[in-house]
Amino acid sequence: MTIGISGYGVYIPKLRIKKEDYSKAWGSFSASGVGEKSVMGFDEDVLTAAAKVSKRALESVPLTPDKITRFAFASTTPPYIEKLLSGTIMVSLGLPNTALSSDHITSTRAGTEAMLVGFEHVSANPKGVALVAAADAPTASMWDSIEHALGAGAAAFVLSSENLIAELEGHASYASEHFGERFKPRKDELIHDLNVKKFAESSLISNTTKAGNALMKRLGRKPEEYQHVVIQQPDARVPGSIGGKMLFQEPQLASSLTSKLVGDLGAASTPVSLAAALDVAKLGDRILVVSYGSGAGSDALSFKVVSERKATVKFQQEVDRKEYIDYIKYLKLKGAIL
Amino acid sequence: MAHVSVPMYWRTIPQRYKLIGQKCKKCGSVNFPPKGVCKYCSASSEFEEVQLSGKGKVHTFVLISAGGAPPEFAEQEKAGGQYPVAIVQLDEGPKVIGQIADADPKEVKIDMPVTTELRKIYTEEGVIRYGFKFVPARK
Repeated sequence: MTIGISGYGVYIPKLRIKKEDYSKAWGSFSASGVGEKSVMGFDEDVLTAAAKVSKRALESVPLTPDKITRFAFASTTPPYIEKLLSGTIMVSLGLPNTALSSDHITSTRAGTEAMLVGFEHVSANPKGVALVAAADAPTASMWDSIEHALGAGAAAFVLSSENLIAELEGHASYASEHFGERFKPRKDELIHDLNVKKFAESSLISNTTKAGNALMKRLGRKPEEYQHVVIQQPDARVPGSIGGKMLFQEPQLASSLTSKLVGDLGAASTPVSLAAALDVAKLGDRILVVSYGSGAGSDALSFKVVSERKATVKFQQEVDRKEYIDYIKYLKLKGAIL
Repeated sequence: MAHVSVPMYWRTIPQRYKLIGQKCKKCGSVNFPPKGVCKYCSASSEFEEVQLSGKGKVHTFVLISAGGAPPEFAEQEKAGGQYPVAIVQLDEGPKVIGQIADADPKEVKIDMPVTTELRKIYTEEGVIRYGFKFVPARK
């Protein structure tokens, strides 16, 4: 049975802060390749963003909420550490209360984790329809250089066996034990990072290339057969360094390089970047997605575009809708002034 | 702060999260927020639930500035600045009060088309109170 993506939606909060504002405040900006980044408003969080983007994904099919049989939510910035998160989104959308739901919150790989549980559901239930929403607005201490890249955004996908935009060709995963990079000890709301750059980079490279290469080997693919390669973006330089190891060229990475415009979207990084690639993909194009989460693990998914149908609201439209804020307002919104 | 207990807030979830209104079985008018007796004909307490579209137009509005916000919205005003509160006439008829988010206060106008989306309203007792706010309709 063929399964895949039947609809998708993307949302980028309206507020932006520029690299130059960081340079003015700190004397430097440490997020490579990021020119500006998106910021959530005071009354937004990952659940309101997920609700909004889920609605857009349903409208893009179009599909009524009562058809959903599985819901999965992903974020590394849940507003509660204990309490079901998906319920808020399900009730606001009017999804069936009987749909199995799951919350994926422990690493930036959560976005593809949620997509894969959705695909597993559809694959086991030919009439099932999964809705998957990834929304994130990661937060770290203002004193930490990892903070500079952190943006905000969301994407959602409707997964089923009917009315497909992109067919899932296969997937592969890789998990291993690494530490010291991007973690939150219990009782801490902020991301810690020991800033051991080479050590973190070796985890990033080894997990992603192992998942990605395993998938390409299984499908018998060569790097040049992909028109779009979507890679996790803690900054805008990382896709180039991972892509280089996997023998991808810059033009293949271009359509999904969202971080230069909106920053690091955490668990929503690969989902939003996949949506951006789908926005411009042509019939017959192939898309490879490679996510990464510290700790560490990676998922790789391969898609073939089978329809020219696009989302009603495109990534580029979301990027163009913006209002700049200065660093002081940014600190207030992030709750950094205690 | 105007205290709204958790059970009291919970009972309003259908209206706050997804704009469920009620249609009077006698006169056909749509009540929102839901009422015990129809506010239009005052002659019926029988309703059927209806899903409102959230679409409407600004009937009138006010801008809340420093010192003007109720305590539960004071922090929002301090962090985000002046914010608009509007009475919106929904397409289905009812006039509803709510904040307008994602809008430059200077650009809010009477008759401006708006729609609703889920936002954080405020937090009390550690519980985030979600509900709808209006946002400018996409062109």
